[in-house]
This record gives sequence, structure tokens and C-alpha cells, in this order.
Amino acid sequence: MQILTANELLSGATVYLDPQGRWVEELQRARVFSKDEAEALDAALAAAGATGRLLSLETEIVTVEDGIIHPVRLRERIRAKGPTAPRFPRQHLDEDGHVSL
Amino acid sequence: MYRYDEFDVAFVSDRVAQFSDQVRRRIAGELTEEQFRPLRLMNGLYLQLHAYMLRIAIPYGTLSSRQLRMLAHIARTYDRGYGHFTTRQNIQFNWPKLRDVPAILSDLASVEMHAIQTSGNCIRNVTTDQFAGAAADEIIDPRPVGEIIRQWSSLHPEFSFLPRKFKIALTGALRDRAGVKFHDIGLMAQTNGAGEVGWAVYVGGGLGRTPMVGKLINGYVPHEHLLAYLEAILRVYNRYGRRDNKFKARIKILVHEEGLENIKAQVEEEFAAMRGGVLTLPQTELDRISAYFAPPPFADHDGARLDIAREKILDPAYGRFLENNTFTHARPGYVSLTVSLKPVGGAPGDATAEQMEAMADIAERYSFNEIRVSHEQNLVLPHVAIADLRAVYDGLVEAGLASGNAGEITDMITCPGLDYCALANARSIPIAQGIARRFAAPERQREIGPLKIKISGCINACGHHHAGHIGILGVEKKGTELYQITIGGDATENASVGKIMGPGFEAEAVPEAIEKLVDAYLAHRTSPEEPFIAAYRRLGDAPFKEALYGNG
Repeated sequence: MQILTANELLSGATVYLDPQGRWVEELQRARVFSKDEAEALDAALAAAGATGRLLSLETEIVTVEDGIIHPVRLRERIRAKGPTAPRFPRQHLDEDGHVSL
Repeated sequence: MYRYDEFDVAFVSDRVAQFSDQVRRRIAGELTEEQFRPLRLMNGLYLQLHAYMLRIAIPYGTLSSRQLRMLAHIARTYDRGYGHFTTRQNIQFNWPKLRDVPAILSDLASVEMHAIQTSGNCIRNVTTDQFAGAAADEIIDPRPVGEIIRQWSSLHPEFSFLPRKFKIALTGALRDRAGVKFHDIGLMAQTNGAGEVGWAVYVGGGLGRTPMVGKLINGYVPHEHLLAYLEAILRVYNRYGRRDNKFKARIKILVHEEGLENIKAQVEEEFAAMRGGVLTLPQTELDRISAYFAPPPFADHDGARLDIAREKILDPAYGRFLENNTFTHARPGYVSLTVSLKPVGGAPGDATAEQMEAMADIAERYSFNEIRVSHEQNLVLPHVAIADLRAVYDGLVEAGLASGNAGEITDMITCPGLDYCALANARSIPIAQGIARRFAAPERQREIGPLKIKISGCINACGHHHAGHIGILGVEKKGTELYQITIGGDATENASVGKIMGPGFEAEAVPEAIEKLVDAYLAHRTSPEEPFIAAYRRLGDAPFKEALYGNG
């Protein structure tokens, strides 16, 4: 299973594509693409690229247990929450909190 | 300190205006990210894991109080109230917003600073000894030549698109505190038979994926021909450096693959054609630049002496601070003072806006307005009167900057690692924190003596792990962080690359592993006067491997 993630243009904040086609801060609101949704994933990637408002677009492999999304890579888990040492909160979307496809 | 002339002012303000318009066009959708990315990188604006990161150049690591106050202002106004000092003597802000970057660059320009050439395949910020212009063991103050290299390399039309980035470091002292042999070009001041001072030139040093110690390409280049000689090296590199493979594009690979003699012949040919030409540095110009770096108006403190033994009895923390953090000054009655940014439990190299302001105030009052950044991620007050040391110390205590651990095991170089960096494979800061907590007791650190631990979160080696007496490299293995340990690296004039000891350790096992290495050293050293690196060179790998992995 995969999710789509990026950094938003103005704030640089980590964002995830949600099921409604919006880019949101919360990992747990991300749309999870199953293996047989490859076409939808490709279409979402292309549409995201076309907005011009998203940087470092990436797909990330996740597992879902009891409805909780777990990125496989530590890198992605850190991206979701912010630096661990010292602990700082993640960057938030600024004025552009509503990027949508 | 150097002051911008009209050319410096014009090129920096032109660049602020140009980049401001580029940001505007990017936000308006007139530039794509593909078009904008190289433009933002030319101005030091990276994208990291969580946000943009702005890297600001601090030429040869020298700051005035006014400049440091501006960095504090930027931290507070546009970022999260802190900055991170780097091994390139730069500062990085981790949380700027794109729309604010033009204002930040404008603020920087107002104090004669910028972020130009802190990224990209160009000549980066020139670095030097943090005690330049102050150290007792100095042959020559390297900063005037550092400034001349800065001017020559800034927006150099021929060298703006090199095969890869290019780093130059220089030192004017006999002891190398700038790691010059791990730079693309390293310069060490040298005296010739006639007693004149020039430069020994090392080429092809570097860390990263393929660590190499720089090789001596010319034992003596006079000041007047130094720029021509540097230009000759850069020209050969620009022509023959590999552009087909990013991992083989640095000059160290060119020198290694083609051989020093071959490269030297090419450089000498270029040099012969350029020598005596437009790049010749007139003594009058060197004198003019040197005047900016004239010694400050020292007071007569010749009789003042440091009595560390006495202070250690009266106030052990202060005594320890004096013992570790003072450095012998060329002027009697003065010392240079390392202000450690390595408190136990902190992030190495980080300073808050309040700490920067406190340093600026202390420097203004007690160090002729000067602050330095060391490649070991500490700050330095270069000229402190011995008579003022207690007052300075008390000010540092108040600012939370009085860690007396300079040069000891907890004074570690640490890259930002996976907590911030988009390239990292593993975290570095928590590893440094774990080691610092393990060895927090001052008596333990003193028993161990000088020991340099350097930690990188990926093979790019921003944390200089190859050059650590003990190096730690974070890698990713099956989704978890694993740490390889090297021993025997050294960034001084006796430069060497550390050797990997064996299989890596999980994060929580690293402090224990370091403790085993330290215990092995303590058990085998001939006396407390034999430092870790000397003991390793005498003993070889065996006792350290055995300490880590047993003798099976």
C-alpha cells in the first residue's frame, strides 16, 4: 500500500493527499492506495505535479493496522511528526492550507 | 574586520533584488519548480525533510557583534528562535517560509552577509582556523588571503558550473585546526628559504563516499601568484573533472584517477601561462585588505597570568572551563576562548537567538566585537583579556553557554542527520546526546583527555566521521538505523582516514560501544599524556576490535 506525500510550496510543510483530493498535514488522513489502484496513483501524481504548488512529490510504502497508517521508512515517520531530538513540532501549512487537485 | 566596498554592496543588493523577483514569479506560478530550484539553490535555499533550509555564508568563520545580532533577529523573526552552526563555519536556519526569504536576504545584506554560493557546483565559503589573527602559533593571519579568495571566487564566471562543489580551506598556523587536507584545495602557510611567507598547496582531499587526504601539489606558492595558481587548478578540474557520474565528480577522484604528477603537470602548464598576468596580486592590494584585519587595540595586560590550578580549587566548573576552553593568544595577557555549543543533552552546533545576542554583547564588551565560528561547531571569542575571563564566564553561565568541554569527548561534531536532512539515512543528534549523557561527568571526560568523536547520518560525511578519532556513520539497514564505527581519523596536519572496525551497532548500543573503546584506550595507554589517537597509532586495531567484538 502506498500514500502520496510532498512538501507545500510556501511553507515547505509535509503534506499528504487525502481521499478528497486535498493536501493535508495529517498522515492519518492520507489516502491509502492499494496495489490495484496503480492507475489512480499515477493520475494523482500527474495532477499533483500540474498544480505547481507541491515539491518533492513521492510515494511512500505504508502498512495499515487497526486503521492506523504506518510508513515503513523511519524517514517518513520523522517527516510526519517533526525532528526527534530535540523534539520540535512539524512545520505547518501557512496561508496556503488548501492546496487541492 | 573586512567591510564591503561598493562592488560587494552592489553585487549583494543586486542579487537580493533578483532573487526577490524570482520568488515572486515562483509564487505567482510564472516559474515552475524545475526552473526555480537552481535559482533558489544559488541563494542557499534548500528543501529539507520538514521545510526549507537557508544556509548563510560566514566567510572564514568571522562575525561581528552586529552580524550575530542580525542572525538572532532572523532566528526570532522568521524562524523558530534558533540557528545551527555547521562544519563549514556557516549557519543554517531550518524553518524559513518561502515568502520571507527575500526579507531575510535583505536583512543579511544590511550587515554585509549573504547566502550566495552556499549551494551548487561552485566554489563554496572559504574556511579557516577559528583562532586566525589571534593564535600564538600563527605564521600569518590567513584572513586577508581568505577574503581575497572570497572576492576572486564570488560569481567567478568560469567556475559557476563546475563538475561538482568545491571547497577551499586555509590555515596560517603550524598546527592545522581547519582540516585543510580534507578540502578540494587546502592551503597551509609556509616559509621559504628567504624567510618569506607563502602557501603550501594541497589538492584532492575530501570526505564523503570516497575519503581522501589531500596531496601536496606545490610546496610554496607566493602570495602574489596564489590566485593564478588556484585558477590553474580550477581550470584543470573544470576541464577534466567527471560530469558523467556525480559520485566521481569531485577533484579528489580526478587527482586519484589521473595521478598527482599528471594533474600537477597540467596545473603547472596553466600556471605558467597565467603567472604574472591579470591575477597577480599586488602587495598594495594585499596590504589594503590586510589593514581591515589589523590587530585590535589591545590594552597592556602583559603581566596577567592564568592560574588554572588555583581556580580549579576555588571553583571546579570555572577551572575546568579555563583549562579546556582557553587557547594561547599571540598577545600576552589575552586568550582566545572557545564557547562550546555542545551542552550535554543539546543539539551540537545549535544556538538560540538569546544565546546569539548574549554572545554579541559579550564580544562587544570583551572581545573587540569579534566572534568566530569553528568547523567543530563552536563559537569563539578570539581576543579576551585574562583579567576579564571571570566576567565573560559569568555572562556565558547566564546564557547557558559555559560548557567547559572544548576538545573533550562530549565536544562532538554532529550533522543534522535524519531529524532534518533529506539526504540522511539515520539520525545523528540523538546519538550525540546519548554519548554525551554517558560521559557527562567532568572527571570522566578529564580522565579520557582529548578525543574527537564525529558523527554523520549518511555517507556524504557532513559530520566528518572519517576524520574522527572515533567516527560514527549512520546507515539504514532493513528499515532501522545502524551505526558503523571507525577509528583513527584525524583532521589535523597529521591527517588520516579512520578505519571501519566491524559490523554496525543499533542506536541504543552506540554509547556502550564507545565506552568499550574508551576503556580499551585507558587500559592500554602508556600514560595519561598519551592521547587516544596516539595510542591507536601505536597499538593498531587489535585491542579496539577486541573491545568491540571480543576475541572470537
